Amino acid sequence: MVFNSYTFIAFFAIILVLHNLPISWKAKKINLLIASYIFYAAWNPPFILLLWLSTVVDFFVGRALYTQPNKSKRHMLLVISLIGNLGMLCFFKYGGFILENFVILSNAVGIDYHPAKPNIILPAGISFYTFTTLCYTIDMYKKKSKPVASLLDFSLFVTFFPHLVAGPIVRPPQLVPQFETPHKATGQQLLNGLLLLTLGLFMKVVCADTLLAATSDTIFGSPGNLGMLDAWMGVLAFSGQIFFDFAGYSTAAIGVALCLGFVLPQNFLYPYAAIGFSDFWRRWHITLSSWLRDYLYIPLGGNREGKFKTYVNVMITMLIGGLWHGANWTFVAWGGLHGIYLWIEKALSDSREKTPRMPDSNIPVPVVVQASLAPTLPARGNGGFLYALFTFLLICITWVFFRSATFSAAWRLLRSMAGQALPSGPPLLTTAAILQVGVVITLMLASHWFMRDTTVLKTASKLPWWLLGIVWAVLLILIILSQGTSKSFIYFQF
Amino acid sequence: MKTQLSVKSAVLALLLVLAFVISWELYLRHKGVEADYDDGPELWAYTRGQVYEPADKAVVFIGSSRIKYDLDITTWEQQTNTRAIQLSMVASSPRHMLTNLADDPNFKGKLVVDVTEVLFFSNRGNASPDAGIAYYKGRTPAQKVSFDINKPIESRLAFLNERNCALNALIGEMHIPNRPMVYPFLDFPIGFGVTLFNRQSKMSADFVADTNKQNQVKAIWGLLRNDPTPPMSGKALDKVMQSVTRDVARIKARGGDVIFTRTPSSGFFLQAEHHMYPREAYWDRLLKETGCKGIYYADYPGMASLTCPEFSHLSPADAIIYTNNLVAVLKRNRTWGL
Repeated sequence: MVFNSYTFIAFFAIILVLHNLPISWKAKKINLLIASYIFYAAWNPPFILLLWLSTVVDFFVGRALYTQPNKSKRHMLLVISLIGNLGMLCFFKYGGFILENFVILSNAVGIDYHPAKPNIILPAGISFYTFTTLCYTIDMYKKKSKPVASLLDFSLFVTFFPHLVAGPIVRPPQLVPQFETPHKATGQQLLNGLLLLTLGLFMKVVCADTLLAATSDTIFGSPGNLGMLDAWMGVLAFSGQIFFDFAGYSTAAIGVALCLGFVLPQNFLYPYAAIGFSDFWRRWHITLSSWLRDYLYIPLGGNREGKFKTYVNVMITMLIGGLWHGANWTFVAWGGLHGIYLWIEKALSDSREKTPRMPDSNIPVPVVVQASLAPTLPARGNGGFLYALFTFLLICITWVFFRSATFSAAWRLLRSMAGQALPSGPPLLTTAAILQVGVVITLMLASHWFMRDTTVLKTASKLPWWLLGIVWAVLLILIILSQGTSKSFIYFQF
Repeated sequence: MKTQLSVKSAVLALLLVLAFVISWELYLRHKGVEADYDDGPELWAYTRGQVYEPADKAVVFIGSSRIKYDLDITTWEQQTNTRAIQLSMVASSPRHMLTNLADDPNFKGKLVVDVTEVLFFSNRGNASPDAGIAYYKGRTPAQKVSFDINKPIESRLAFLNERNCALNALIGEMHIPNRPMVYPFLDFPIGFGVTLFNRQSKMSADFVADTNKQNQVKAIWGLLRNDPTPPMSGKALDKVMQSVTRDVARIKARGGDVIFTRTPSSGFFLQAEHHMYPREAYWDRLLKETGCKGIYYADYPGMASLTCPEFSHLSPADAIIYTNNLVAVLKRNRTWGL
């Protein structure tokens, strides 16, 4: 079930009513759990079994990990959890990719091997809930927090429908304590939640699907070389589309949870206002980047084992982060390119030997800042915006690999963007499409820059009530005019 | 984080939205926009799910836009006592739909394939059928429920007419000049295509009476003249013929049957089609290679005299005449026990 559908409106209305009935807290939690299973089953009912399996195994393994005094048995339990979680992810998400590469490798060494193409359906959100459960068992292994007392609370933590299929990726201490005591939205939380839900839907339905998707699809789907203008417009459109699509989901998810009285972590903080790439990664998909920092980069050694090892660890983290997004080498290249950017940035930073600037207190602990890869570029001042713009343009280059189906398509588009390819046909984009992309991307960059140190709710609460009402109405009217017909969110496939 | 939003903001927003929706709906109705159904993958997938009715109770139609306008489903159902399941898609080739039905072992029914040569004998125009087929195969329970909720809403509100009233259509109607050679936004006038729940397309009475609007559509067809792609021939055509023949044979082998139709066109559209797709090289060959019967409108006086107001599709009144004649031909030939 997607947030931008009639089904969800009906579903959410029922949940809100049930959650505000004068019944016991346990009954409300059971309601939420059943609702979350229905929410998930609305995609593909059989896959709910995987969710149950993952939940039950990790609940009991996590508890055993915490209480088991024998070190080797604890190791064994951790291995069981890792194999269970990552094995499932590998099979469903990377099974076809692994087989395809194995076949290429076999054929390259002269073995004539041509197996039938596997027909594996990817369960929605498997990458997200696998990371959610995985961090629990690893935390239990490290005894970083206490095991969740009840299976009901743990199940709800894993399955809670706002974050289930596309994040934010939550950690047990962020959500489980909220299930331990009765939670109901206050009037203010309900208003905040509804505003965020509206904004999230506006970002998805109006900006991503209506104003940008067609241009992006046209350009990335074009089989030939393109003119420079078309190529850049297509890539800019995708840079906006991917942001509005994913940040829109996160914003809506946070809003939905808030309407029920629960607080989910921020996932985006105006990433296109980032100055440098470490700054970008503490603003883009924050819950994934902090997950990768805590459960991959730091266990690899982080920056504790010398400069060379730090560079290697950064690259490994970014490559795996790339692969997490999809079973294709183009995603790995996307991660690798970000890794190279971070290398360059660190090299510049090291050469200046300046103390990293500490982030704003409103910004969650960054992924790479903690790993001593903080930018040394000024956040404010005359040059700040130009640095941010330069960062954005370099990030646009990485999106070419992210969105292209093959390396040859990515290369063709990059050559077109550089004006090094003779267009294969007439220009593709209408003037209206070019203007749409130009206006939306300009407004997006401007809003990111002016909002980079604040939040939507803070800004909204400073507006006069009538102005907020008008803005809110405009968002809703544009959603209605767009008539988005339940298009899936891009990140569901990850 | 302390924030303080006012309930007054939410109330004002709701009132403004309500006022806008009511005014917009009234304005559009005044302009002649009718409430209809979005002819997208959702409705197609729903209709695709109906093809398993017993062969003596239903006939499936695939093709491009012409058969969607020209087949009057009410007339067909009254005359034949069988349901017409309309799977045709506008601006697309039906070949992938044919393959989809041939691939489906449970489809054993009767099938009418309408041929618009420029689309049928082309490797373009597969995007919509492919999207519809993919949607049908991957439909989730949530999407089915959304479709059921959407149906009564969409059928009552004109502003939900996506083709003419959605944000992108409104931007397209601004007619901002394009760079040379750019394929423009096709601004079909209001009333050219009203989609019914059974997926029949109809011109509105206003459109039929308004030659300006008809000329606007003719101008859009005129853009097709700029397409430099030559008609399919040689090995590419052989391949299409083989693929269609194979699909037809598979349906027939399961007890199903296939008939081809060629619906009317007029004016420069017809002249161009005759010139680019000579009947013997395409239509006659198609029938010969597939071994199927064909009903070419020009062979029957009752249909040959029909004229398309905008050169490519029949008006609702002529669609009834066409359908009556089509059924008469099928009955005369004792086809499908009609």
